[in-house]
Amino acid sequence: MDVLTDLVAWFADPGQWSGPGGIPARTAEHLRYSLLGLLISAALAVPIGLVTGHTGIGGFATASLANFARALPTIGVLFLIVLLAGIGLVPVVIALVALAVPPILVNTHEGVRQVEPALKDAALGMGMRGHEVLMRLELPVAVPLVINGMRTAAVQVVATATIAAYVGVGGLGRYIVDGQARQDLTMMLGGSLLVVFLAVLTTLLFAGLSRLLVAPGLRSLAAAGR
Amino acid sequence: MITFEGAAKHYPDGTVAVAGLDLTVESGRTTVFVGPSGSGKTTSLRMVNRMVEPTSGAVLIDGEDVRSQDPARLRRSIGYVIQQAGLFPHRTVRDNIATVPLLLGWGRSRARSRAAELMELVGLEPSQGKRYPHQLSGGQQQRVGVARALAADPPVLLMDEPFSAVDPVVRTGLQDELLRLQAELHKTVLFVTHDIDEAIRIGDRIAVFRPGGELAQYDTPERLLTHPVDDFVESFIGYDRGVRRLAFFSASELALREDVLLEDRDTVERARNTVDTAGQPWALVVDARRMPLGWVDADRLRHEPSGLELGRLDLTAFGHTFDVERDSLRAALDAAVLSPAGRAVGVDPDGRVLGVVSQADLGGAIWSVSG
Repeated sequence: MDVLTDLVAWFADPGQWSGPGGIPARTAEHLRYSLLGLLISAALAVPIGLVTGHTGIGGFATASLANFARALPTIGVLFLIVLLAGIGLVPVVIALVALAVPPILVNTHEGVRQVEPALKDAALGMGMRGHEVLMRLELPVAVPLVINGMRTAAVQVVATATIAAYVGVGGLGRYIVDGQARQDLTMMLGGSLLVVFLAVLTTLLFAGLSRLLVAPGLRSLAAAGR
Repeated sequence: MITFEGAAKHYPDGTVAVAGLDLTVESGRTTVFVGPSGSGKTTSLRMVNRMVEPTSGAVLIDGEDVRSQDPARLRRSIGYVIQQAGLFPHRTVRDNIATVPLLLGWGRSRARSRAAELMELVGLEPSQGKRYPHQLSGGQQQRVGVARALAADPPVLLMDEPFSAVDPVVRTGLQDELLRLQAELHKTVLFVTHDIDEAIRIGDRIAVFRPGGELAQYDTPERLLTHPVDDFVESFIGYDRGVRRLAFFSASELALREDVLLEDRDTVERARNTVDTAGQPWALVVDARRMPLGWVDADRLRHEPSGLELGRLDLTAFGHTFDVERDSLRAALDAAVLSPAGRAVGVDPDGRVLGVVSQADLGGAIWSVSG
């Protein structure tokens, strides 16, 4: 019970809630890196996934690349890039992008591939051109899977953005790294709890986003279990 | 008018989908391509809107080679209906129907009001416009598919097995609807099916394809039934083609007997006199409005009390009736075959009995039209 009391005291300390080392500032840093990593990943992975899914070209390369990237240890990537590019925000974001691209890319590619051939036949037969088939049929039908991939990526990125602390650019990882260095279990626990809380919030955010972005016809289709 | 000029499709692996088709599809009529699977009927249809390019020969619409036009523009000018409708799941019924008008740049409000017109034309409720495809039944989805194909008012309509995924009752309804629409719109309809009955029902002309992508026979439905060119066509049509051909003759020419009709208030004694005078083994009992009640046979009448009213007897069911004005000889024959009395009951559109006809009399009528 001592741990719990200490933890409550840690969160209750007004000093934790202000200044450049306070929880709000650390959380803002953490969110900034996560968002940056996720946005760059989406900007790379969604267009590539759409094109490979639509054309069917590069599907194997996409899957292989994604699997390769998934096997990379994020912390290893971080230190490798630090060695090459030096300390700072750049290696952190690159490591997060390497982590987030595979789920978004694979889901986007699969989302487009799984559009029924009969629907594509109808779209072409009515006189849609390639890009119209992609934008008016394949993309809207793929949206649920794309968002799913983004959610997986976002949760991983939020959890992994703690590595920013290793290269001295802050974030919630600070508490974990510093806590470890000082043998301060309460600080480590507090930092971890904050990360878990952010990850849960991220999941909720994407649930809301999917309600907003998925066409109602597809939503009720999924609800009907077909 | 659509003209196939030696149109052929050979695949690199040596498969022949269409061996070389020469055929003219008349404007404003319904032409059906029918055949077993692998006979090239769908491939031939898809050559018209360039979903398949022939490896040799050409397809012309009103004398112009379809390959002279950009495929997307060509397809926007041709209606296209596929099996299971192929409706876009993320779009409402109304927006599905408005697809081609929107591609043509009509503007949203004009496209939507056109969609509303078409929903009415194909018999959909206006309230269904805001629903999504999966919320509709299979038959309703096919109606949306037809409406979507007609949205930009194309002169040519290609229909690739559009009704094959719905149950037989719904299919018959959709066929009736197509016949009604076609009587109103006079499109050049090219319809692919593997169902010969469907072909005979809706086609003005029928092209029968044989495996290997060859045209076996191109004729009117009636000629196809009376004069199949070879064993393949004959077996494809089926061995009851003689009976099916009766569907082309109206039942209105039949001589109906009225002398065996009795009312339910008539007595058994009166009924005995009636059957004796007519020399018939059965009489039909009707009510005061001439609606049929059932059959009574002559033997039975001899064992019942003379004073009893016919309405109190347990009558033999009359089975199904045929509409003298609207039904065919085939329907009349079917009614007679299924009737326990061996006689069919002819009715007017309100279901009132006009008279009855026996299997023997029907035989005479069939003999006279078959000659």
